[in-house]
Amino acid sequence: MKKHKVYLFLFIAMVATSHTLSAQDETIVFTPQWTAQAQFAGYYVAEAKGFYREAGVKVRIEHPSATQPAISRLSQNQCQATTLQLCQALEIVDGGIPLVNILQTSMNNAMVIVSARGKDPLMQKGAKVGIWSVGFGQLAICMSIKDHLDYEWIRFAQNVNLFVAGALDATLAMSYNEYYQLVQAGIQMTDKNVYRFCDHGYNVQEDGVYMTRDYYVQHKEQARRFAQASRKGWEWAAQHPDETLDIVMQYVDKNHIATNRVMQRLMLKEVLRLQVDRESKKREFRLRPDMVRQASRLMVENQMLSREITYEELSN
Amino acid sequence: MKKIIAYFRHKLSVRVSLWVVFFAAIIFNVALGFLFYQAREAVRQEAVSRATQILDKTSLRVEGILNRVEVASNMTKWLVLRHSEQADSMFVYSRGLLLNNPDFYNCSIAFEPYYFKDKGRYFSAYTKHDGDSIRTIQGGSDSYQYFFADWYLMPQLLEKPCWTEPYMDLDVATNTSEMVTSYCQTLTDNQGQLIGVINISLSLNWLSQTISAVKPYPNSYSIMIGRGGTYFVHPDTTKITRQTIFTHTLEQPDTALTALGYAMQHGEEGMKHMNIGSKDSYVFYKPLGQTGCSMAIVCPESDIFSGFDRLRRTIMTIVTVGLLLMLYLFIRIITRELKPLHRLAKEAEAIASGKFDAPLPDFQRVDEIGQLSHSFGNMQQSLVKYIEELKNTTSQKASIERDLRIASAIQMGMLPEKFPTRDDRDDVQLFASLTPAKEVGGDLFDFYFRDEKLFFCIGDVSGKGVPASLFMAVTRSTFRTVSAHESMPDRIVTIMNKTIADMNKNHMFVTLFVGVLDLPTGRLRYCNAGHDAPLLVGAGVGELPCDSNIPVGFMPTWKYSLQEAHIFTGTTIFLFTDGLTEAMDAESALFQMERVNDVATQALSQQQQEPRQLIARMTEAVHQFVGDAEQSDDLTMMAIQYIKQQSDVRMRKSLVLSCDLQEVPRLNDFVEEVCQTVGFEELVTMQVKVAVEEAVVNVMKYAYPPGQHGDVTIEAASNDVRLKFTIIDSGKPFDPTVQAEVDTTLSANQRNIGGLGIHIMRQNMDSINYERMDNLNVLTLRKKIILNS
Repeated sequence: MKKHKVYLFLFIAMVATSHTLSAQDETIVFTPQWTAQAQFAGYYVAEAKGFYREAGVKVRIEHPSATQPAISRLSQNQCQATTLQLCQALEIVDGGIPLVNILQTSMNNAMVIVSARGKDPLMQKGAKVGIWSVGFGQLAICMSIKDHLDYEWIRFAQNVNLFVAGALDATLAMSYNEYYQLVQAGIQMTDKNVYRFCDHGYNVQEDGVYMTRDYYVQHKEQARRFAQASRKGWEWAAQHPDETLDIVMQYVDKNHIATNRVMQRLMLKEVLRLQVDRESKKREFRLRPDMVRQASRLMVENQMLSREITYEELSN
Repeated sequence: MKKIIAYFRHKLSVRVSLWVVFFAAIIFNVALGFLFYQAREAVRQEAVSRATQILDKTSLRVEGILNRVEVASNMTKWLVLRHSEQADSMFVYSRGLLLNNPDFYNCSIAFEPYYFKDKGRYFSAYTKHDGDSIRTIQGGSDSYQYFFADWYLMPQLLEKPCWTEPYMDLDVATNTSEMVTSYCQTLTDNQGQLIGVINISLSLNWLSQTISAVKPYPNSYSIMIGRGGTYFVHPDTTKITRQTIFTHTLEQPDTALTALGYAMQHGEEGMKHMNIGSKDSYVFYKPLGQTGCSMAIVCPESDIFSGFDRLRRTIMTIVTVGLLLMLYLFIRIITRELKPLHRLAKEAEAIASGKFDAPLPDFQRVDEIGQLSHSFGNMQQSLVKYIEELKNTTSQKASIERDLRIASAIQMGMLPEKFPTRDDRDDVQLFASLTPAKEVGGDLFDFYFRDEKLFFCIGDVSGKGVPASLFMAVTRSTFRTVSAHESMPDRIVTIMNKTIADMNKNHMFVTLFVGVLDLPTGRLRYCNAGHDAPLLVGAGVGELPCDSNIPVGFMPTWKYSLQEAHIFTGTTIFLFTDGLTEAMDAESALFQMERVNDVATQALSQQQQEPRQLIARMTEAVHQFVGDAEQSDDLTMMAIQYIKQQSDVRMRKSLVLSCDLQEVPRLNDFVEEVCQTVGFEELVTMQVKVAVEEAVVNVMKYAYPPGQHGDVTIEAASNDVRLKFTIIDSGKPFDPTVQAEVDTTLSANQRNIGGLGIHIMRQNMDSINYERMDNLNVLTLRKKIILNS
């Protein structure tokens, strides 16, 4: 009996070890939700500087393609981790795919509305406003309803051409990306024609790294190490912005992205700024329960969610 | 540097050449500057015209194709709307369009979701060239939701057909992409409802190649940007689709580039001059049809003006070399032309060194240098002649100067040289000085004593030099002659005036002051003939009042007036000529009477009014005032100080006799008594008795006309020094002192009648003095008291 027990223990230990080993050997495919750019600098740094390797985790960064956006890759298990905005994550969880936030990078909201020169977005009731066809615009829709602006949302694929061509009255933009694209296209920004959501009670966190809960439950240690190494990558990026930019440009060139160093420098600076919490003035790398609650309730109120998603549902 | 300047100063040929070349260079520069400016402007205009033509040509080519696209799109739209319910027809139309237009890139006839119920959410008849064949498929899917594409949205939002911003068209089937721009227009049903969009794309490759090939200058290049400023054509391929025209300005503001970007974005056409990539360049830009794109040709200024710059450099080199050659030739030519001047200069040096007969070169030229040589020869001859004349004149002048020195010595010799001082006399001391402006002068002064009177005069002859000195000599000798027989100054001057005026052929004149000072009494009689009034320096300083008489020599009949004054003991009479008051300093300011008064006042306050001291102070003051200025006029000063001290009267007696010779014994008794009283010895008493008797008898005999009774008063007075007899009568005026004395060396028969009496008086008494006062003849006889020891 004793011997049997010993065998049972050895089996369990073997199984457990083999499981652990197999789990450790597994590569985490990480898909950022957009093409290669400084928005994901921390992960590039972690990969390029070997932080993932040092943490004992195998990570491969694969960007989404036109035919396969990040969320579909995650749901089809083509990737194990992806970045999502908090509102997107809430929608996905509400849609029946439980997600776990393993690392929250954004501490502030970056979304803005830019309207044609000299016009105040808040004064343009019923205006045609561009919005990303792949999501991201949840807070803007809430704001449009709440402030009775009744914007006509025009869903576009991925650029600012419609607005620049004069086909739109205004467009949504991220302060680190489309905002600078517009500036680069010769659009003049003033205090009047730019509406920043973070300054009007919609300061809801954005980018975070998510895994499906199923995967997470089975790979908690890997997820933790991945998150730790990614955080280390971001902290290094904050301390070495010029070298980080070099790394970013390597990824940009490898993926043939139509951007330039100036844009990526501006984007990196803005993304790093958004990672500093307004109240603590620190890079906290945590999901704030109050922001989860605020976003969830706003979306429920506007029928974007069928129920309130709690902080606990997202946390690990 | 100093050596270079010295070289230029010594080289006329170099200086003249440099000036000529300098002005030539200025003219060349101005002319060429204007020419270059005009030429450059012409080249610039040519460049503008050339670039504009190229732009127009390119634009026309592009618009030609764009128009075909638009026409094809319109025709297809017409077909689609006629058969809008037949989904499969759309493939035929789409394919047909590309078949008919092989240079189009692709074509989509896309419909709204579920427009064809049986086709589901997506229906887009998509045709594309696939190598040599044409592929037609249904293009929409979950992974390509065309509803969100620019080409599908833009015509709806703008509500008109339009060209999209160039974009990368990804062909999923072949996984290839191509930069395209699309013409798209909406399809609407009869109710105006949107049913879909027709999209025809053109590859930008041919456009890029067409635009890139535009190269009017070797280093010029073309760019093309879209509505958002994105580069679609650029020589730096890394910028294409990645950067906009504004990207660079985000970090380094560049207002010129920004302005160009805005102008091109707004579809403007034009030209800008700006700095691109540290090169000055001209940028010509023009929109490309309705695509929203704009192309620009960047032409570096160095390219545009390279031919012009080459020409300019060549011309400038030729001009510079030409000017240097010109400078060289000018220096050579001018040096050669001026060579005779060097010879002339050497000969002139020889003449200057004293060789007046040095031969001059004969240039045989008729130009200015020939004339100069000729003039030089004339000058040489004139110089020799002039030098000869100068020698004669110099020797004549030396002779005249010698004569003048002798004349000066003679003139000075005329003037009294010995001046009585306190040591010599107890009644008056005197000093005078005369400084002529030239060797000889026209000022004069003189003085002498006769009986107990000081006769003196001071004068200033009109003019200067030899004529004035001769006139002065005449005046002075006339004074001596006349005053020997006249004691009254007015008479002396009147006679002198008549004498001088009669022989004055040259209308000269002399201002004259004549004074006679009675030494025992201090009475001054004087006559001023137009001379400066003397100063009296005694209790104070003041002018002696003078009547307005004309100078001597003008009118022989003028009657000069007599004036009198009493001079107190210690008072100095200061006489001077106008050379004192009109002494001039370097600024032609005059010494003036005020300063004379000031000096006299100072001298008085310092008890220095004695003649020598006063004149010394006055001379010093004048020298100080005049400084280094040349003396303008003769300067003469004379100072006479009356120093007679009156002694106490010890005895005083008088006797009045009628003019009767019978009274002579009484006279003798009276005289004897007086002499005894003062203690004269017998011989002296006898001398006094003889002299007084002679004087009184003379009065008794001649003073009154025969038959007229008259008295004669004899007063005797003595002090510790002298005994004085004063004989007073009221008879006719008679001055025995001016009578010529008898020549006692002659025998009695040879002597003239008269004159013996005065002789006796002078021999026996120490002094005789006559005064006419209050219509009385007053004769004073004095004898020093020498008591027996």
